[in-house]
Amino acid sequence: MLRVRLHGRGGQGIKTASQILGSAAFLAGHQAQDFPLYGAERRGAPIVAFARIDDAPILERGPIAIPDLLLIGDDTLLEDPQVAPACGADEWTTIFINTEQEALKLKDRLSLPGLPVVCSLGPLTRKHLGDPRILSVSLAAAGGRLSGRVSLDHLNEAIDIELGALGLDRQTLKKNQDLAAEVFAALSPAVFEERQEKPLVAGQLKVLEQQEVAQAAPLITATGNMQERKTGNWRVQHPVIDYGECNNCLICYARCPEGVIAADAEGKPVIDYDHCKGCLICAQECPRHAIRTLWERESHEQR
Amino acid sequence: MTLHSGEHKKIHDLHPEEAIAPGSALCAGCGGLEGIRLALKELGENVLIANAAGCFTLLSVFPFTPFKGSWLYTTMAAPVPAAQGVRDALDIRREAGRLAEEDDFQVMVVAGDGSSADMGLAPTSAAIHRHLDFLYFCYDNEAYGNTGFQLSGASPYGSATQTAPATAGHPAGAELGKKDLFEIWKAQNPPYIATVSPREPIDLSNKFARARGMKGARLFLCLSPCPTGWGFDPKETHTIAKLAVDTGIFPLKEYIDGQVVHTRVPKKRVPVENYLERQKRFRHLFEPTRQDEVIARIQQGVDSYWAHYE
Ligand SMILES: Cc1ncc(C[n+]2csc(CCOP(=O)(O)OP(=O)(O)O)c2C)c(N)n1
Ligand code: SF4
Ligand code: SF4
Ligand code: SF4
Ligand SMILES: [Mg+2]
Repeated sequence: MLRVRLHGRGGQGIKTASQILGSAAFLAGHQAQDFPLYGAERRGAPIVAFARIDDAPILERGPIAIPDLLLIGDDTLLEDPQVAPACGADEWTTIFINTEQEALKLKDRLSLPGLPVVCSLGPLTRKHLGDPRILSVSLAAAGGRLSGRVSLDHLNEAIDIELGALGLDRQTLKKNQDLAAEVFAALSPAVFEERQEKPLVAGQLKVLEQQEVAQAAPLITATGNMQERKTGNWRVQHPVIDYGECNNCLICYARCPEGVIAADAEGKPVIDYDHCKGCLICAQECPRHAIRTLWERESHEQR
Repeated sequence: MTLHSGEHKKIHDLHPEEAIAPGSALCAGCGGLEGIRLALKELGENVLIANAAGCFTLLSVFPFTPFKGSWLYTTMAAPVPAAQGVRDALDIRREAGRLAEEDDFQVMVVAGDGSSADMGLAPTSAAIHRHLDFLYFCYDNEAYGNTGFQLSGASPYGSATQTAPATAGHPAGAELGKKDLFEIWKAQNPPYIATVSPREPIDLSNKFARARGMKGARLFLCLSPCPTGWGFDPKETHTIAKLAVDTGIFPLKEYIDGQVVHTRVPKKRVPVENYLERQKRFRHLFEPTRQDEVIARIQQGVDSYWAHYE
């Protein structure tokens, strides 16, 4: 069985990528399974999706802890401890990363078990679809090609089915298929060696004791502790205030839905990057155009 | 936090403290979040929120809360009965001398349009009828957002939703008009009703400041641009909110002492097209073929609304 795990952010089409991959495998005559896993989080928040491909009926269910093929659609997730996209990857795992960074540097910096396959899908995606962030087709095509289990025809048919169901017109479907062809041609199938499975060992059974209602019920007695959750990792783009241009009008502060812009002692607006979700409303609304936007990666490099 | 008194005139009059901590799971650029953020800046911490199931129940996810005050999760149809239960309990304690005046708080229902205009409407009507005492903040994203954007009683004519998409047989998408919750409430003559926009923080704050000291059922209808469901880039939230006001689609007004007063009147109304064409849920009105009759009917609805007041 080929177990595939896909990582990205809500809004990038990660779920759709898993569906296209699953459908293509099915059309190629395999058994296939695909499904996303996300909590209550929305656009911008990390999400994960899965696919299983096999020739025998697939009886396994649930999330994939140890993937054979890992497709990481967004390299800003790599160093995020809450997501840890490379978690569970071992020497049998083929790791694909959509990035401009070098494979060897990434392997060393992130202590990956093997050299990842890297390819920057953004420019290709932008060329065909006009937006570098929509990964549904490019990531599915990368996965399909690396898997060695599907042909370009199967992939195109799956694109028709899955994106057609979302109401895309013929012309847009064609653009997506051109994109798929280009990604397909840019990669070659990976070699998947038989994984040596470690036997499962049962742990000690824990017996849960009945608790008093005050402890057992979902009561929250802290105030404002939501800020423990750092939504800064949702950001794909990064607002930067140019204080030379800013006149402290605080319109950005008034308009930020997250309430993460505050005035400092001198009345200057300051962004809390631990929580800013990167909606870019502040940049859009600033009357003096004093807020620039950087891709998150550029801002990492500048730091 | 000490609350402001007096009229707000500029951004610097907004309360500097945030009553909602960041970190929630709502989408980036959520217009409704901006609305409730501004509302709570004005109401302060002494508010208990009774929240009907919907997107905003993601504000508080165990074991985390963004609020300094209390929050109660209710079923979609029952935020008002829940608010009333809390109010009753507080009143009983007040009467028995077991709750000091300064420890008392306001109870505010927070509910989406699906809850407010559909499932929760009957108990709300009963509560207004019985002169019960609560604030009501409805963030109106014009569909059942949390479950994937299905048609609600507040979805406007001509919009596409998951359950009423534009099809060959139904080219307009939603064929029914939007329920007018303002008028439905007004028919029962509560002490205060207002429409508010996240794009108009001063107007919004002054409305909350006015209603804060009143008693009885007080409604705030907040048109809440929803990047995810409406289909626009999150950075455009305020652009869309502004166009809703400037086209006259969303009139800013309040009902007080039996009178409707418009608090912002667009001098020259922008054509509705400018609002519609920026959103994916209306894209079928422009592509592949332009549906002039549908657009004209939406424009006409707006014009005839304002004709009453001009
Ligand atoms: C009785 C009932 N039916 C269905 C649901 C599932 N449900 C949860 S949230 C939601 C959508 C609520 O829509 P709305 O009130 O407009 O709030 P929004 O999600 O748009 O914020 C639905 C249908 C429910 N919780 N209870
Ligand atoms: S809106 Fe622009 S000019 Fe005004 S305070 Fe913010 S950054 Fe400065
Ligand atoms: S991008 Fe700007 S408006 Fe959006 S969350 Fe960040 S600081 Fe707030
Ligand atoms: S779906 Fe819309 S209303 Fe719901 S959290 Fe997202 S932006 Fe806000
Ligand atoms: Mg709704």
